[in-house]
Amino acid sequence: MSTALLEVRDLSCRFGGLMALDGVSFSVASGEIFGLIGPNGAGKTTLFNLVSGLTPPSSGSVIWRGAAITDLPPHRRNRLGLARTFQNLRLFDDLSVLDNLLVALERHSRSSSIDGLLCTARHRQAERQRREAAWQLLEELGLSALADRQAGTLAYGDRRRLEMARALGTDPALLLLDEPAAGLNPAEKEGLCALIQELRQRHRLTVMIIEHHVPLLMRLCDRMAVLDFGVRIALGSPNVVRRDPRVIAAYLGGDASGETP
Amino acid sequence: MIEALLQTLLNGAASGGVYALVALGYTLVFSVLGVINFAQGALFSLGGYLTYLLMGGRIGVNGALPGWGLPAGLPFWLALLLAAAGSGLVALLVERVAFAPLRRRGAEPLLALITSLGAGVVLVNLLQILMGAEGYAFPQESGALAGLPEVLMIGGARIRTIQLLLLLVCSAAVVGLSLWLERSRGGQALRAVAEDATTAQLLGINSDAMVRLAFVLSGALAGLGGSLIGMSVSLPGPYFGIGYGLKGLAVLVLGGLGSVPGAIAGGLLMGLAEALVPAEASGWRDALAFAILFAVLLLRPSGLLGRRTVDKV
Amino acid sequence: MIDNGLLVQMLLGALLGLSVYLPLAAGQLSLATPAFYAVGGTLAALLSTRWSVLGATAAGGFPVLSLLLELVLGGALAGTLALLVGRLVLRLRGIYLAIATIALVEIVRVAILNLPFTGGAIGIFSIPQPFTDASGYLLTALILLVLTGWICQRLDTMPLGRAMAAIRDDELAAGCMGIDTTRVKLTAFVLSAVVAGTSGALAAHFLNTWNARQGSFDVSITTLAFVILGGSRAWLGPVVGGLLLTALPELLRPVGDVRLVLFGLVIVLGPVLAPRGLVSPELLERLGRWGSPTREQKP
Repeated sequence: MSTALLEVRDLSCRFGGLMALDGVSFSVASGEIFGLIGPNGAGKTTLFNLVSGLTPPSSGSVIWRGAAITDLPPHRRNRLGLARTFQNLRLFDDLSVLDNLLVALERHSRSSSIDGLLCTARHRQAERQRREAAWQLLEELGLSALADRQAGTLAYGDRRRLEMARALGTDPALLLLDEPAAGLNPAEKEGLCALIQELRQRHRLTVMIIEHHVPLLMRLCDRMAVLDFGVRIALGSPNVVRRDPRVIAAYLGGDASGETP
Repeated sequence: MIEALLQTLLNGAASGGVYALVALGYTLVFSVLGVINFAQGALFSLGGYLTYLLMGGRIGVNGALPGWGLPAGLPFWLALLLAAAGSGLVALLVERVAFAPLRRRGAEPLLALITSLGAGVVLVNLLQILMGAEGYAFPQESGALAGLPEVLMIGGARIRTIQLLLLLVCSAAVVGLSLWLERSRGGQALRAVAEDATTAQLLGINSDAMVRLAFVLSGALAGLGGSLIGMSVSLPGPYFGIGYGLKGLAVLVLGGLGSVPGAIAGGLLMGLAEALVPAEASGWRDALAFAILFAVLLLRPSGLLGRRTVDKV
Repeated sequence: MIDNGLLVQMLLGALLGLSVYLPLAAGQLSLATPAFYAVGGTLAALLSTRWSVLGATAAGGFPVLSLLLELVLGGALAGTLALLVGRLVLRLRGIYLAIATIALVEIVRVAILNLPFTGGAIGIFSIPQPFTDASGYLLTALILLVLTGWICQRLDTMPLGRAMAAIRDDELAAGCMGIDTTRVKLTAFVLSAVVAGTSGALAAHFLNTWNARQGSFDVSITTLAFVILGGSRAWLGPVVGGLLLTALPELLRPVGDVRLVLFGLVIVLGPVLAPRGLVSPELLERLGRWGSPTREQKP
C-alpha cells in the first residue's frame, strides 16, 4: 500500500504478563475515516498510545508516509502531522481556552524566543497570526464566547470540543479521536458526527476514531478494524465487519450493528 | 592487612545498617502513600536527643533550659526503645499536619514532599532551640556498655563494641520488620494497602489506620537509627539527622523506591562504599552517596531492585 | 530597621525566589538553586581575589566593570552546568527530580569544601569591593531583579512561557501537541541557573567572604519557602515571598533566632492553608492588568 498515510505493522505491546496488543497490522489511507472498535480492554487506547508515541511497542513498527516513526517522541510525531485527543480529556485546565489553542499553534511561529523577549515586529506578527488562527478555530467549533474562560471550568461538551480544536491547532494530517462521543447525549452525538465530517472536508483530514457507540461509527466510517483481547479480529468496510462471525461472537453473540453491548 | 580490611568492612556494615534503617523508614511510607516523608531526617535527630535525655543527659549552656535534665537516667536499652516510640509518635503528628490535609483535598502528591520538608525543618529547629547547637556525648556510665569492654578483638582486628552492637540492633530491626511484613496479619494488611489501596479497602482493611501505622514504624526506625549513631559517635548538633536523611534518600533510590530488600541491600552497599573511601579523600566521602545516586538515576532510575512503572494515560 | 544592607539581601532573596519559580512554572520542582548560587559566588570570589587582571586594588577596591563581567561569567558558568546536568536529570519526574537536584546541591557543597583552591571550611575572604557602601549593591541588585522580572513577564505572552504553563498542567498532553517538553524544561532550568549564578556572583562581593555553606541544603529550604509563601502561579509571588521572608527574621531578631522555624512553618502550612500563595493570578487580575496575562479581545 504505497498510498497509506499511516501503517502499523505487527504491533505488539506487553505490560508485565498482559499482552495488551498482539501483532496488530493495518493501514489507513489518506482522507478516510477509520474506526476502531472492540470490547473494553481490547487494546484500542493502547494502540492510540503506540501510534502517538506515548508508549513504546514491545515489537512491531509504526510507519508514517512510508517511513518508520516508531522511535520518535510524541512531539516529533505531532510535528509530522499526527494529533490526538484523549479518552478522559487532558486539557491544560489552568490555562484559558484561547491559551490552550495558542499552545497548540506554537509551531507555526517563525519568531524565536529572543524575538519574543524583545517583542520584535516578527514576534508581534507571529502572535497576531497565531491569535487569528486560534479565533478561527474557536469560531469553527462554537467556542468563541468562552475564549477567556479557564479550560478547567468549562462544561463537559465544551471541553470535548476544545480538545478537538486544540488538536486541530497543530494542523494535523491525521486526527486520532479517542471516544469523542463519550458522555454526550444522542442529539450531541449527531452533532458531533456532522462536525467530524465537516472538519474532515475543511481541514483535509484523515480521521481515526475509537468509539463505543457502534451504530454511530458504522455510519461515519469508511473502514474499520475490530480488536479483541489485543488481536485484530476483523478489518474492512462497515458492511463487511458487521457480518463477520468473529465480531458478532466478540460482542457476546449479539448483533454488532445493534446498540452498544 | 586482613585485619584492616575486616575492620573497614565492619565499619561499613555498621553505618550501612543505619542507612538501611533510614531507607526502610522512607520505604514504608512510600509504599503506602507513594510519597516521601522528608521529615525522616529530623525524626532521626529527635531519636538521638530523646535517648540522650532519657539516659539522664543534661541540656547544655546554649539550650533553652541550661542544665536541665531528668532526675534519674534510664539504661541505654530502655532509653533506646522509648526514644524510638517517641519518634514514632512524632511521626504520627507529622502525618496529621503535613500529609493528611493534602490527602483529604486530593492534592498533588509532590506537595506532600514540600510540607513534610517543612515539618522536618520545624522539628530540627525546635530541637536546636531546646538543646542548643552544641554537640553532646552520651553519658557512658549509665550506658549499655557498662558490662562490656570498649574494644573487642576479633580475628586480630580491634573492633569497637558499639559498632558491633549497632550492626546487631540494625539487623534485628530490619529482619524483624521484614518478617513482620511478610508473616503477620498487620504486615499483610499493610502490604495489601501498599499494593492497591482501593481493593484493600474493599477487603475491609482500614487504610487510614495502615497509613498511620506506616508513619509510626518509619518514625521509630529513624529514632532507633539516631540513637545508635548518637551512642556510637555522639550527637554533633540537631542537624546531624538531616545528613543521614539525605543519604537515606540516595540509598532509597539505589535500592529502588518502595522495595524493602532494595533498601536493605542499598544501605549496606552504600555503607561499604563509603568505608572503602581512602582516608586521604575522606572529605569527599559525603559526596559519594550522591554521586552514586546520580549514576543510578541516570542508568537505572527504577533502582537495583525496584519495579519499573508505566504511566497510565 | 530596614537599612540598605538588608534591602540588598531582600532583593537577592527575591532573585533566588525567581530562580526556584522558573522551573516550577514548567512543572519541575528543582531544589538545585543553591548549587548554582554557590557556583556563581565561588567563581566571582576566585576571579576577583586571584586574577589581578580584573583590577582589584591593595586597598580592597574593585572596578565596577569587572563586577559586571563577573556577573555575566557567573551566570554563564551556572547556566552551562545546568545545561549539562539538566540534560540528564530532566528526564526524571517528580520525586526523582527533586532528589536528583538535592544530590547536585550536596555534591557542589562537598566539592567547594574540598577543592584545593576554594579555601576549605573558611572559604575565600577579603573579596574586593566595587562599591564603597551598600547603595551600589542595592542599585545592581535592583537592576538584576527588574531584568529578571521583565523576562518572566514577557514569558507570559510568548510561546516558551505558554509551553511551560502547558507542561505544568499536563506534560504528556503538551508533548502530543508538538511541544518539545525536554527542551522547554531545559530552557527553564538553565534560566533558573543563570539567575542563581548571577545572584551568587553579586552576593560574594556583597558578603565579602564566600564559603561552601552559602550553597547548602538550608538555602534550598529557604528559597522554597519564598515561593510557597508568595505563590508560584505568577512571577510576582516569589518576589514578594523573597522580600518578605528575608526581611521578617531580621525584624524579628529581638525575639530570638526563629528564622528557620518560621520558614519551616511557611512550608508545612502554606500548601495546606493557602495553596496558591499570597500573590495569585486572581489577585493580580483584581489589582490591575499588570503582572498577569491580559484579557483577550476578539479581533
